[in-house]
Amino acid sequence: MATIQREIPKALLIISGVVMLLAFFLTFDIFTELKATLSSWTVLLSAISVWLGPVYAVNAQLMNYSRKKTTANLIYLIVPILFFVLFFGVALFSPGDISSASYQWLYIHIYQNVGATVYAVMFFTLASSAYRTMRMSSIEAVALAFGGVFSAMRSIPIFTYYFPWITGLGDWILLVPNVAGGRGAVIAAALGAIVVGIRTLAGKETTIQETS
Amino acid sequence: MADILAGLVGTFFIVSVLSMLWKDNIVFRFGQACIIGASMAHYCFMNTQMVFTQGVIPLSQGKLTLVFPLLLGLLLYSRLNKDIAWLARYPTNFLIGVGSGLMIAGTLRGQIIDQVKQTIVDLFAGFASESPLDALNGVIILVGVITSLSFFIFTKEHKGAFGYITKIGRVFLMISLGANFAGELVWYLTQMIGRLMYILNQLIWPLLGMA
Amino acid sequence: MSSQIRAKWTKRYQIMWVACLILMFIPLIHPLGLPTPVSKQVKDYYNTIKNLPEGSIVAVSFGASATLLDEQEAQFLATWKILFETKQKVIFFSTTEDGPMVLNMNLNKVKPESYGYVYGEDYVRLGYAFLGEAGQAAFSENIRSVYTSDFYGTNLNNIPLMKDINSFEDIDLLIYEYTSCTDIEWAVRQWVVAHNTPTIATTLGCCGPMAAPYYPTQVQGFLSGSVAGTELEIISGNPGPGAAISDASNLGIIPFFIAILHTNVEYFMQRRKEK
Repeated sequence: MATIQREIPKALLIISGVVMLLAFFLTFDIFTELKATLSSWTVLLSAISVWLGPVYAVNAQLMNYSRKKTTANLIYLIVPILFFVLFFGVALFSPGDISSASYQWLYIHIYQNVGATVYAVMFFTLASSAYRTMRMSSIEAVALAFGGVFSAMRSIPIFTYYFPWITGLGDWILLVPNVAGGRGAVIAAALGAIVVGIRTLAGKETTIQETS
Repeated sequence: MADILAGLVGTFFIVSVLSMLWKDNIVFRFGQACIIGASMAHYCFMNTQMVFTQGVIPLSQGKLTLVFPLLLGLLLYSRLNKDIAWLARYPTNFLIGVGSGLMIAGTLRGQIIDQVKQTIVDLFAGFASESPLDALNGVIILVGVITSLSFFIFTKEHKGAFGYITKIGRVFLMISLGANFAGELVWYLTQMIGRLMYILNQLIWPLLGMA
Repeated sequence: MSSQIRAKWTKRYQIMWVACLILMFIPLIHPLGLPTPVSKQVKDYYNTIKNLPEGSIVAVSFGASATLLDEQEAQFLATWKILFETKQKVIFFSTTEDGPMVLNMNLNKVKPESYGYVYGEDYVRLGYAFLGEAGQAAFSENIRSVYTSDFYGTNLNNIPLMKDINSFEDIDLLIYEYTSCTDIEWAVRQWVVAHNTPTIATTLGCCGPMAAPYYPTQVQGFLSGSVAGTELEIISGNPGPGAAISDASNLGIIPFFIAILHTNVEYFMQRRKEK
């Protein structure tokens, strides 16, 4: 039973990973074909699993409501289901599905507005954080403020118009010290990713074994 | 009239989310719950449609190899039952294997070798350039890359001379973070301006007859 | 934190928020019309498209989100206009669920037909597919392994533009649009490293600093944020929504800088008092 439940899936992981690696380094047609085929399978595979989302969400909200019967929890349970049925129903039954006028109306005036406003609210919370994060109490904080303030000014026309030197400084910050720091982070992250990837393909990565 | 109604609905949802700034309230939770349902519906519809058009229909037209990804995808739903949840290991491990293999191959060259190469090229190009500023920039990039990379060495204590090196690395990383912070701030500002423009163009101006 | 301190901070934040809102409104009613300088990476982005021979095949990996349109619409509209003006053959493929809807809205505004474009011959929409890194790899190796039909359900083999196009070998430029900052690595790994495909990118303002390390060798140019969209509008001579948004952002951010000044003056005065 352990073979079917653990060893064969592990073997599937290793074989599929090694095939992808070999496809990169060897130019035989068979590997190119396999790379395209196996990669394309992940597209369909991932798309099919999308219905797990609503199932888990409704289940979680049901359990939440059964634990604590408040108005807020009731809203969290009923309203998503209502809007799910509304949007899905309109998409399914309107001629032209998502391109139909009725779906576009719902999409632009409800979905887009709420989603965009969630990000808009973050402007206020992030701007408030300036009181804490931009306090120059250490050299690192000064560096953060330097990078943040002048990069922000570079993006706002009023500053680049009245203080033209901010254009050059802002561009310099993006393309020199930011690249320096960013490149170091990219290389470090890449080294870590390769180590984890090799451990995964060798079947040694314990987190994969536990969660899969 | 229909436009004003649309503007009213949209403005209601904008204000419902903005009300969170005052305090957590029922109207905000309603708006939050709406987007959860709406986005789930949209994602489910688009992905189901995609599975049909790029999977089921080609399968019915003779592309028999598509049976494998479709079956593997269905196996993911076995997670809902504890007794057969182990079946989900097949598609999960397949995804991880393919993803890891693709990632390792490209990372080695794209994010290590090419990045190191570019750092050295920037240095030499800087010195070969007429402007002394380019040479200085090349040196700054080299120093920044080495010091910020050394910050991520966790097997040696950041003390003494090494401590100074990692401190310089931290400075470069903080400048990077600052640039990121600025990008986020201006992004969120733009989003807020977009919503204000929506309220003006879809509700206020039509109500005032200035559309 | 004591309730007094909490109340003090809450009041401070609320004053700042109200100031930001009021200042944001002013340029919307009375535009300031200030110019925006164009940065090097935007110039390179523009020149990469302009330098393509007419009729080149441009693949657009469109990972847009409808909720982020305020930030990116200027980039999209200006890019499509440049592509259509320079008579390139364009293949749009959406990697996010919102992509097709956003493209619907964009193309309704830009109207390719007004540039003499015919669907199926000059541009094609492949619709949405759940393309992660593996999907990008599959698409670059064999388009038909991911898409068998276009957005309207027509088999790819029946579309004139797609008859002889099936992989990276047939693509002259990739325009990679993404909203999740680390996704640029997918394009670098699966297009640039794997196939040496010339690539330019469009993304959010916060993702620009993370794309900069790949510029200019791996990614020949990039747009980050609404400001870059405005800059592209200016350099290409195609006015769009970016100018209005850039203009409106002039005053709304000022309370942020005042807050930084305030908190630091307060901090240094506190330190002096303690000494």
